[in-house]
Amino acid sequence: MTQSDFLIPTHARHRWWQSRSVRRFARHRLAMFGLVMIVVLVLACVLGPLLLPFDDLYIDLRGRFSPPFTGYHFFGTDPLGRDIAARLFMAGRISLLVGFAAMVISTVFGTVLGIAAGFFGGRIGTVLMRFVDAMLSFPNIFLLLAMAAFIKPSPIMITLIIAATSWMEIARIVEAEVRSLRERDFVVAARMLGLSNSHIMFRELLPNAIGPIIVAATLTVARAILLEAYVSFLGYGIQPPLPSWGNMLNGAQQYLDSAPWLAIVPGAAITLAVTSFNFIGDGLRDALDARSDML
Amino acid sequence: MSDKSSSSSIIFRPTRRQALGMAIAGAAGLTMPNLTGAGRALAATPPSEPKGQVIVGFSQEPTVFNPHLPHIEVDEGIHFSVFDPLFGVDPKGNFFPALAKEVPTVENGGISADGLEWHVKLRDDVKWHDGQPFTAEDVKFTLELLVDPKFRSWRRAGHELVQDLTVVSPTEIKWKMKEPYAPYPSILAATFIVPKHVLGAAEDKNTAPFNNAPIGTGPFKWVERMAGDHIELAANTDYFADGPYLKSLIYKYIPDLTVLYTQFKTGDIDVIGLQWITADHYEEAKALGGTSVAVIPAATVESLSFNMERPQFKELAVRQALYHALDKKTIIDALYYGLPAPTETYMPQQSFYYNPDLPKQEYDVDKAKKLLDDAGWVPGADGIRVKDGVRLSFKNSTTAGNHIREQAQQFIQQSYRDIGVEVMISNLPPAVMWGDYWMKSEFDSVVVGINFLTGSDPDTSDYLSSKSIPAKGGAGQNTWQYASPEVDKLLGSGGVEFVPEKRKQAYLKIQETVRNDLPFLPMFQYATVRGHKSGVEGVEPNINVRIDSWDVATWHWA
Amino acid sequence: MTGSACIADKAPLARLYPTDTKTETTGMLRYLLGRFWQSLVLLLLVSVIGFAVLNLAPGGPLSQFTLTPGMTQADLDRIATQMGLNRPLPIQYLDWLSHLLRGDWGHSYRDGRPVLDIIWEHLVATLLLMGVSTAIAIFVGTWIGVLGALRRYSIFDYAATVGAMVALSIPTFWFGLIAIYIFSLRLRWLPAGNMYTIGNGSLGDYAIHLIMPSIVLALVNVAVWSRYMRTATLDVISQDFVRTARAKGLSSRRVLIRHILGNALLPMITLLGLQLPTILGGALVTETVFTWPGMGRLFLDSLGYSDYPVVMGLLMMSAVLVLVGNLAADLTVAFVDPRIRLS
Repeated sequence: MTQSDFLIPTHARHRWWQSRSVRRFARHRLAMFGLVMIVVLVLACVLGPLLLPFDDLYIDLRGRFSPPFTGYHFFGTDPLGRDIAARLFMAGRISLLVGFAAMVISTVFGTVLGIAAGFFGGRIGTVLMRFVDAMLSFPNIFLLLAMAAFIKPSPIMITLIIAATSWMEIARIVEAEVRSLRERDFVVAARMLGLSNSHIMFRELLPNAIGPIIVAATLTVARAILLEAYVSFLGYGIQPPLPSWGNMLNGAQQYLDSAPWLAIVPGAAITLAVTSFNFIGDGLRDALDARSDML
Repeated sequence: MSDKSSSSSIIFRPTRRQALGMAIAGAAGLTMPNLTGAGRALAATPPSEPKGQVIVGFSQEPTVFNPHLPHIEVDEGIHFSVFDPLFGVDPKGNFFPALAKEVPTVENGGISADGLEWHVKLRDDVKWHDGQPFTAEDVKFTLELLVDPKFRSWRRAGHELVQDLTVVSPTEIKWKMKEPYAPYPSILAATFIVPKHVLGAAEDKNTAPFNNAPIGTGPFKWVERMAGDHIELAANTDYFADGPYLKSLIYKYIPDLTVLYTQFKTGDIDVIGLQWITADHYEEAKALGGTSVAVIPAATVESLSFNMERPQFKELAVRQALYHALDKKTIIDALYYGLPAPTETYMPQQSFYYNPDLPKQEYDVDKAKKLLDDAGWVPGADGIRVKDGVRLSFKNSTTAGNHIREQAQQFIQQSYRDIGVEVMISNLPPAVMWGDYWMKSEFDSVVVGINFLTGSDPDTSDYLSSKSIPAKGGAGQNTWQYASPEVDKLLGSGGVEFVPEKRKQAYLKIQETVRNDLPFLPMFQYATVRGHKSGVEGVEPNINVRIDSWDVATWHWA
Repeated sequence: MTGSACIADKAPLARLYPTDTKTETTGMLRYLLGRFWQSLVLLLLVSVIGFAVLNLAPGGPLSQFTLTPGMTQADLDRIATQMGLNRPLPIQYLDWLSHLLRGDWGHSYRDGRPVLDIIWEHLVATLLLMGVSTAIAIFVGTWIGVLGALRRYSIFDYAATVGAMVALSIPTFWFGLIAIYIFSLRLRWLPAGNMYTIGNGSLGDYAIHLIMPSIVLALVNVAVWSRYMRTATLDVISQDFVRTARAKGLSSRRVLIRHILGNALLPMITLLGLQLPTILGGALVTETVFTWPGMGRLFLDSLGYSDYPVVMGLLMMSAVLVLVGNLAADLTVAFVDPRIRLS
């Protein structure tokens, strides 16, 4: 550890931008709005089911298709007479969890791969990045559906599949970042000190690339939530009776004329969550002044 | 499809009213509104020459036009329009002659008394759409094609028994069967004759151009296909039988059932075909002006099917208890809008072989609990019953995306929880579900709709014989792994008996045994909501075929 | 990809701005050749991944026939053998690949027709939808972007920024459903789906059917486009020659059209290339909602029937499109800014 004390400038700069970034982020009105919305959504999904007098799985065939605001059903009921509000919150738990988990997996994987590719460069770097390119050559949804069509769609599998199709951008960003940092003084210094490769990669390079990673990770949550919705909407995602925002919309088209709230409510929740994450991501980008190459 | 000059058409082809009468009689309790127009329909005579155009909407896309390649039911809509079999089957289950001069029977000498020798006389006035005459050579070619090892024949059952095919003259053909096989007439009624001079010339018959531009003898000629959109057919003015009365016939592919119904509502399609009107639109559809909408029973039976080799289901008491706890009425009334008819057997209620005397299911939760208690299945700490270390907990699967069935499944899950039985829903995409998962009995339980019959024939050896269990190396589709020596014996005797009245006894008994053993819990027989514009005449439902357009030759505008 | 999450950053665009057009021809050629070989390797990788994903999964193309009355395991086994589905996977892959290299994309399991023919038929519908929607996106996006840049920090600019973010966050299919609900079911102004009314193939009929799906599909792209356009315009405005032009007394409008648009639109070609997978993916979802007979629907249908040859064909085709798009993007960058080293 003592060896890395030589590298004070890096760490000092690290701490220095952190506090300033926080202030900059706090001034970003949209980002703060997004943050508040996410906190509200998470709280609602965690506490909502406990407060509502309905079970998200309880079927009451006599109470099918109650419109919103009738009786005790705030958002109405679905084709099996289940309370949509209760389902919405339970679905939120799953959708948000899938989004977060997919983000964590894809960020970790993409970061490790990106650092390795950027640090080693040369042949290893080329092979790794060509693999990234290959994965990027499929339109995301095509690949996702091709995988989802043939597995047993449990939340864990859906999370893994979404992660498997969303790590490439992060890998690219990190690779580019690391490649530009590789020849910088502090890395050269660390090499001369004889620090191990893994030490340089994860102790020296990673902290310096953390800004873009955080931004990309935030946007990945947004994208993962959207992807879950797409796949579940098309019927290949999370399966009922387990609710997710996406599968609540699956089948809603059939009742669009007679029960439009089936489509409106979960769609609004998805839009709200995704917008909020995108706002936060935007704010973080401005705050961290990260150069993201994501498209 | 019957002879224009022949008076036999009255016998073989029931009128619209007769057909509907039979349908009503068969499906007791089903309402048939808006069909009062039937009387008017009878009065309207077909035009003297083909006139106008009818658009039929399908929710699946017909893509296989060679009737002998593996295909799905929607493809048969095209087959019936373009081709003819030797003889067809009417809604009552009777055969009527098409390319054959008469339906071969034991009485008329077409089939020998032992069922081994067949002798079929053919019409001499039939032409293929390209003008070539139809002869016995085409029949020979077709029957040989079906067992050609290089050809991906969709089905060989029955055809494999045919030997010594001999063309006696252009209008006469003979063959011998290796063994008597009573279902063969029904199989032949679904076997369309294809032209030797066209398909026979193709090197690889699996990819012949014919397969995408079929030439038949049927009432309509192939015009073109706009892939992903529609198929256009035109009147065959040289058609040998009654019709056609439409100048052009269009099958339109509309992949979404809601859109399909909307297009019917707005009049964009004239006849709503396969997958028809969804149950939830029935009330609204009935009230539409200018259309005729009716509930028509289908041969498919919905069941909760068990894998009987699973330890949970080995005991009859468990299956009985699960049957008692199945709230059929609520499922039918609430989820299927009361349209399908509850049933106790796999045999359609319209069939001649249907057994109406089976014990009726009693929905009785207490009885279900008592049965399980008595059998020693006692609730464990988590409320789920256990016996000898086996938890009464199982997976239930169906095709992901079939919304109403998924709803029924979730309802069943909830009802079974109340008697201490755990159901875990595990739905799969169709390509996985109906692969080895179903065929090789890898499931615990499945909600499935199956049409057990080929045409109107009652033989179900492929489903119920203990020799037909694929998981045990069998050739059929007995995925319940149901094994009953008694049923095996009865299937054997029923399969070689050619006189319907004698055959019936065996099949009544089989239904009784299956009802007692409960390898699957019969829920209901499907009912479909069909509809067409009031002006379209001649659209008759036929439970013995899989598609609406079986009688498209005689459709016409009023 | 989906209408996802990212309003692209300003930084790369700053680099895109054209200053010099000198290029080293030999370096370019070598670069192109290198890219070509890399692309081939990439396509090979894509095909292996795709083939493995499809074929290693349970089920298969014969499952759809299982519920045909009287279908038996024996029939299914026989047909599988006849179709060569029982061969070892590597053999099946090499067989597929060797046919592909000879220009034979295989035959559909469903209707036995050549895969390329089938894709071609559906491609037209997709290109029509994508073309119209991209045109809308470019037009509207450019307008919003330029206006936002000219009136920077105005209410309009702020609203456009927020609107773009929201647009990127709305699930395309949900937006489609809401549009159908309002314009087809409630107002009854527009058809809820399909490409044309049967028996009425008139131009006006096509146009009416195009309105909703193309606008829905355009939404995400308007957002992306307007953000890029805003940044690019800001960049151009700050350049000396624009200031000079203004100083020379050229009217704002002429400055806008001649200089700003002319210069800012160039990097947009890059964007178009890079946006291709997004538009393709968006088209898939939009086509599903609006029952549009294009490649996206073909993909879903083929997936449902496990029609592997068609699915593989579509995957390869989209990979080729994406590669070409990326290459075009890179080349544009290289042409307009030689400071970017191609390596």
